[in-house]
Amino acid sequence: MSSLSSAWSRSRPHLLLALPGLLLAGALVAGGLSWRAQATNRDIAALEANHDRPVTTEAPAQLILARVLQLARRDATEAMEPLVAALESRDAPALLARARYALGNARLRRALDLIERGQLDPAGPLIVLARQEYRRALQARPAFWDAKFNLDVASRLIRDFPELDRQIGDELKAEPKKIWTDIPGQPRGAP
Amino acid sequence: MRLALALLLTVLAGPAVAQLRGVEVRVPRTFGYFLGDLVEATVAVEAEPGFALQASSLPQAGPVTYWLDLRRVETRQEGTRHILHLTYQTFYAAIDARSLEVPGFPLVLTRGADHGSTTAPVEVPGWSLGLSPLREVQPARRADPADYLRPDGLGPRLDPIPARNAALGLGVAGLLALVLLARDRAWWPFRPRPARAFADAARRLAALARGPESEAGYREGLLALHRGLDAKAGHRLLADDLDDFLARHPAFRAQREGLARFFAASRIAFFGGSVAEARDRLPLAEAGATARALAAAERAA
Repeated sequence: MSSLSSAWSRSRPHLLLALPGLLLAGALVAGGLSWRAQATNRDIAALEANHDRPVTTEAPAQLILARVLQLARRDATEAMEPLVAALESRDAPALLARARYALGNARLRRALDLIERGQLDPAGPLIVLARQEYRRALQARPAFWDAKFNLDVASRLIRDFPELDRQIGDELKAEPKKIWTDIPGQPRGAP
Repeated sequence: MRLALALLLTVLAGPAVAQLRGVEVRVPRTFGYFLGDLVEATVAVEAEPGFALQASSLPQAGPVTYWLDLRRVETRQEGTRHILHLTYQTFYAAIDARSLEVPGFPLVLTRGADHGSTTAPVEVPGWSLGLSPLREVQPARRADPADYLRPDGLGPRLDPIPARNAALGLGVAGLLALVLLARDRAWWPFRPRPARAFADAARRLAALARGPESEAGYREGLLALHRGLDAKAGHRLLADDLDDFLARHPAFRAQREGLARFFAASRIAFFGGSVAEARDRLPLAEAGATARALAAAERAA
């Protein structure tokens, strides 16, 4: 006990010397982190206000997502893909789900636009890709109701035909998927 | 499981599967699933003692059918019960409520022995899952088909508040620690303090040692250390009182020799009238070192 207290009294001056330095250095680091988060938030706000500013794949996940959502508003799916792939490696399932969902939306909007103009052939693959994105979004975040809703919309445009695949064999599989030429939500015939 | 209800109980009988007592599939509910929902199922296999599930016979996570994924498989054993927790995810976009068959799968139980092992195949039965539509069959007409979709939405922002609070907290703690350090070292505003009398003397001696050498300066340095000793002792301390002082303040015992030389030099300087000789015996820098050592001992005391 006495050796403990003597050790304490011997080391106390050194501890007292080290403590302010350590604490103030920690305060500086935390302040820097806070400042950086605020700077990122300003960038996100600028992207939400639709100011064009490029975002690298190294940026914080929230900033990448803001850029993905901005590109989705312009239906620029090619530019979105590398950013969505970058989000894949981050441990942020909710952000990844939102990004995949936005990519699916952009593809589906383009497909709907093509259907409006009567170009059904190029619309089909876009719808299939959009459904894949929604499915992956739901895999990342099962309780994502907007993704469920839009997957339902896309699924009524092109349905899976598992029975045909299974029973008739490989030759039919390669055929382009059947597409409904009407607006979504008006099914003709049962799947 | 919370709402566990026995869905299927298949008791396999017969001599070929004598090691097996029953297979049971439980799900919390078998109806009311939307696309994207997770479906938790529990498979319980009751076997004879000594059997274990063969890991390679477990179903693999991945797509089961075109509308169903198996996301996770966890196993555990309770005595002779082998329990599998299966998490499925359905992607069936139903237009009307309907039941679909979740396929069963085979399992293998093994019992190891010295002369080879016994295996028992188990067939986990399929079960039906009730899926519900998410939207009406015919939604209201919209001019722009994109209006049928839910909007993209906004992403979250970063939260700078925790880091800011941490910075403020650490900053305040750092300043407090600085105040403690200043008190410990008798820095401003804690200077005149008998508990840190030697800190003052050491500071004064260090300042004098930096300046030019002079008789007056040397005397002032010695006086500074005298005043430090006086303040520490609580009365005027003379050379003869040194042993008594060290007995009462054992922390400074290590400096006994330095202090004795200091008193000797002081006597020569003030009463012998020869500052030069005193300085030969004890240079001001050495007195300063003694004062610093005393100040350090004082802080550690």
